[in-house]
Amino acid sequence: MSALELTRIVKRFGTFVAVDGLDLTVASGEVIGFLGPNGAGKTTTIRMVMSILHPDSGAISVLGHPDAAEVKDRIGYLPEERGLYRKMSVGATLQYFGHLKGLSGSELSRRADESLASVGLSEWKRKPVEALSKGMSQKLQFVAALIHRPEFVILDEPFSGLDPINTELLKRLFQELRQRGTTLIFSTHQMEHAERLCDRVVLINRGRKLLDGGVSEIRERFSTRIVLVEGEGDFRPLAALPGAADAEIAGGRARLRLTDGLEPHTVLQRAMETARVTRFEVQRPDLHDIFVRLVQEDSQARGLSVPASLAKPAPALPRGANVE
Amino acid sequence: MNKVFVVGFREFWETVKTRTFFFSVVLMPMLIMALVYGTQRIARLGENEQLPTRTLAVVDAAGSVLAPLAHRVESFNSASPNRPYAIKPIAPAEADEKKLAQQVSAGEYFAFILIPTDAVDGAAPCTVGRRDSSLDVGRQLQDMLNQAIVAVRFEGSDPPIDQTQVEMLQRRVPVRTIDVQSGNETTGDEFARTMTPFAFMFLMFMGAFGISQGLLTGLIEEKSSRIVEMLLSAVSPLQLMAGKIIGMASVGLVTLAVWAVVGYWGAQRGGAAHLVTIFRLSYAGMYFFPGFLLVAAMLAAIGAACNTLKDAQSLGFPINIMTIVPMVMWIHITQNPNSTLSLVLSFIPPITPFIMILRICADPNLPLWQIVATLVLLWLSVFAAVWAAARVFRIGVLMYGKPPSLLELLKWIRQS
Repeated sequence: MSALELTRIVKRFGTFVAVDGLDLTVASGEVIGFLGPNGAGKTTTIRMVMSILHPDSGAISVLGHPDAAEVKDRIGYLPEERGLYRKMSVGATLQYFGHLKGLSGSELSRRADESLASVGLSEWKRKPVEALSKGMSQKLQFVAALIHRPEFVILDEPFSGLDPINTELLKRLFQELRQRGTTLIFSTHQMEHAERLCDRVVLINRGRKLLDGGVSEIRERFSTRIVLVEGEGDFRPLAALPGAADAEIAGGRARLRLTDGLEPHTVLQRAMETARVTRFEVQRPDLHDIFVRLVQEDSQARGLSVPASLAKPAPALPRGANVE
Repeated sequence: MNKVFVVGFREFWETVKTRTFFFSVVLMPMLIMALVYGTQRIARLGENEQLPTRTLAVVDAAGSVLAPLAHRVESFNSASPNRPYAIKPIAPAEADEKKLAQQVSAGEYFAFILIPTDAVDGAAPCTVGRRDSSLDVGRQLQDMLNQAIVAVRFEGSDPPIDQTQVEMLQRRVPVRTIDVQSGNETTGDEFARTMTPFAFMFLMFMGAFGISQGLLTGLIEEKSSRIVEMLLSAVSPLQLMAGKIIGMASVGLVTLAVWAVVGYWGAQRGGAAHLVTIFRLSYAGMYFFPGFLLVAAMLAAIGAACNTLKDAQSLGFPINIMTIVPMVMWIHITQNPNSTLSLVLSFIPPITPFIMILRICADPNLPLWQIVATLVLLWLSVFAAVWAAARVFRIGVLMYGKPPSLLELLKWIRQS
């Protein structure tokens, strides 16, 4: 059974279409990155999954139920806008969220203690939440959302505002969830997280899905490979290779874009015939570059303005490839 | 349902723990009691203090009043030796009102009294110049002056009339008032009797609005510190609202119960048992509960729709205006519990409980149909308000930014 099924869901706010016929299926145990620029409709979609908002049309099935409200105790949800009661103690906060998630008694106390220990907050149990630093309250929010060991976890922008240490902690938490077989969806606009953590990524822009697939599959599909060669000798013959494009050759350095099935291996062989190679590098595009390009192309194709966060012209070639 | 109670319990416990709650439960009724039963006692507090002799400058142009006035002052002084007056006669020829006024304001004299030539006929008014503001002093000076001039009139009467005899005949008839329900003697507690309906109404009012205000500020805090969506991951908006209202209603009931027990016990011991009766208390409870729910539902909707207290205040303005009505009208209502105005006001739901408790305290024999009808109306409006509030709540609780207008709120209620 799939953990989540969205069928052509649509959500409008007035005349603004926030989510525009989105389809999505998440298999049980999958880890999915839900990507897109600001205003793409990620949060709206997640809120509809959590039945905080209701779609204008389309169907939602969460853990086999049409309404997440029926299975809220099996879902862990961390909203993008998150806070805790400032005056409540750390321990009481966990107790409260545990109670709301259907835990009770010694089971709840044990889970609360374990959760605090797992993020190094045990000594803060009796302190009020307002005494915590920002990083500590972020950790508390995570464990509060996950205290009931949900089988399906939805995190909206979990990485936003985290310092590097908490980012690592969160990644560790993700690994634990994955090992436990938890289905995990998280939204982000930082592609490097998605690249490292996800089985699959889904990219949306302006409420529509642009891309849905495995990370390596996507990379393969959008690979525009660049080869960089450095050394002593003559690199000019490389420009003549069939399939070599945009060749830049100067001094002891050559850069080529590989097209028409030209393999890096062939380039290296050819280079070694006329030069002593000291450096050879195949540069691959990362998700970031692919997504920036896709979002821009999509926005332009639909006659929409490019999202402000992506307003700078994206490199025609993968990042790092044309740095001189 | 369980989650509703988890939310409700937190709301209850977090409120009861606070200092504000302690003050409102303990201090508020004490203040009210002091206001109702203690005003006169407080006024009498300084009575045993020794005051310096207060000199009155007296200008007797009539010539005959000074002696009897001095006599009255003497008998006053012997009756209350710790607050004596003295008289300083001033010859009418030397008297100058302006100068006397200056002397009084400079503290040379305590007050001055000008008795005009035809004072005994009552053709011209006497003048009393003072700078203090004591009610008692004013009454004492007037009484003494009045008695002195009346004595002069009796002396000059033709044929002669014996003043003592007249006073004997005119002496006041003693009246003993009792409360027919308790049989208690109630002589002399008219003030407390008049104020009791107000005290009941005011405490209910504080209970309903004071505590619901906590609901509103709590909600706004949850919205502004972004707790709401964390909560919505576990409960539905409706459960959240219901839990909050139930929690706050429990706070209200506890508060009212404490007040009722303390008030009842205090009244029993303080000889005011006929004022704080089980009859009145049970009606107070019967009207408080739906009244509280109605106010709480309205404020919950407002709190959910707004992000700052300021927005909430402007959106809640119409409700606040209405709540002034029982405050302004209470005297009319307690004096005329069965007037048309009182009847009409009883059927305006948010203020029904307050108007009705005033009327019930003022007239225990209010027609039963009115009590039944107002309670039915009240409960119907509770259901309507909770229903509407739930709709506003669902939309508003995740809305940030500009607060909606009343019209937009109505749209939310209709569309969702």
